[in-house]
Amino acid sequence: MNFRTQQAANKRKTIGLLMGMGALVWLVVFAALTYFGNSTAGIVPIAVGIALISVWGSYYGADKLVITMTGAKLIDESDNQKLFNLIHEVTIASGLPMPKVAIVVDSAPNAFATGRNPEHALIAFTTGILEAMDRDQLQGVIAHELAHVANRDTLVSAVAATTAGAIAILSDMLTRMMWFGGGRDRDRESNGNPIALVFSLLILILAPLAAMLLRSAISRKRESLADATAVAFTRNPAGLRSALEVLAADSTVVHQKSTSVAHIWIESPLDGKSVSKLFSTHPPIAERIAVLKAMELQS
Amino acid sequence: MKTIVVLGVIALIAVFIVAQYNRLIRLNIGVNEAWAQIEVQLKRRSDLIPNLVETVKGYAKHEQSTFDAVVTARAKATSATTVADVAAADGMLTQALRGLLAVAEAYPDLKASTNFLALQEELSTTENKVAFSRQFYNDNVRSLNTAVKTVPTNLFASFAKVTEREFYEVEDPQDRNAPKVTF
Repeated sequence: MNFRTQQAANKRKTIGLLMGMGALVWLVVFAALTYFGNSTAGIVPIAVGIALISVWGSYYGADKLVITMTGAKLIDESDNQKLFNLIHEVTIASGLPMPKVAIVVDSAPNAFATGRNPEHALIAFTTGILEAMDRDQLQGVIAHELAHVANRDTLVSAVAATTAGAIAILSDMLTRMMWFGGGRDRDRESNGNPIALVFSLLILILAPLAAMLLRSAISRKRESLADATAVAFTRNPAGLRSALEVLAADSTVVHQKSTSVAHIWIESPLDGKSVSKLFSTHPPIAERIAVLKAMELQS
Repeated sequence: MKTIVVLGVIALIAVFIVAQYNRLIRLNIGVNEAWAQIEVQLKRRSDLIPNLVETVKGYAKHEQSTFDAVVTARAKATSATTVADVAAADGMLTQALRGLLAVAEAYPDLKASTNFLALQEELSTTENKVAFSRQFYNDNVRSLNTAVKTVPTNLFASFAKVTEREFYEVEDPQDRNAPKVTF
């Protein structure tokens, strides 16, 4: 597979997963209406509203918010001429505007990108990654980060977070209603079929879990897509591949103040063993290396 | 009712035509911008050369033929205008610069000088920028040429006055692959 087919496949899969997320929302709404009757219909816009407000704020101010959450410091060209040279090279290859650049003082090698659109993009590097990598490897990492910017992954993950959040809030409110206040209005038009009721209940309980799984799957597909897009920019899969090998060989992880920004790094800062593959925000690094190796053989 | 349907169909067709037309124009502007980027980067490289030659000369006085090759190639590159000419001159200059840096390898004092180290980084990044701007240009030309040749955009190409554009082909096949500059 070359980078073009990789890009197309990952885009297709993201759309499929987002549609799955949409279907899940409808399933939850349907289950709620079946179980509690039509009187609960008013809860749906409330749940979606809360999720929208909480995610939209972080989406709109993504660049500024992430700076405070990761302790990144903005730098300019005079601070690190070589890094800016490399970033400028990749912006020429990709046709993107020059992003803001930040440094995180941390010996663990890692990097991330954020920002609501290419004009507000921010890419950040740990001091560790700048020391550990040579020109080609850093170019691969920068291309991966700018690929996230080009693919609008902040938007995609905001959409995923909103729907997953809405489902979680909805399910939470409805399960509370079940414990308090007796829940469904038995006398009115609600569906009396016991099998339908059991199914609805199961859907309401399992939906948040399913939403989380879908959200992680979307994040993994976007990582694979960013790898493929990075190769489209540099046409040098070997650079990113050897950069990922450096990351894989390094056992230190970024000292994070918060796990809520874990998904934005190039290598997940969460301990891989404690999270199952299904909940992981990144594909296994060995798998990513294998895909890039296959691209190297192609060219 | 009937008139509304007819008007709706006409409006849809109009939207479709405008979209195709705009797509072609956008692609054409994309190629122009990519070409401008190549010129910017070639100019940057051209501006670097006098300084580089002076620095190397300071340590390696007896390499006159290498200096001449670089200076001639630079002069050719600045006078070229068509895509093919610019590409040919660009390939020649890349070769000449490689020769110059190979010469520098033989002079340890030169290689250790801070001035040269700074120039070397500047030159690697410029070579990469030149290579990436070529690649970006060729990608844009590919999209435009595909649009000019395929249905439905090809039907509007002559109306939009957009034609196929020339690829930027560098002679040295090594250059066509993306940059792996290790001087």
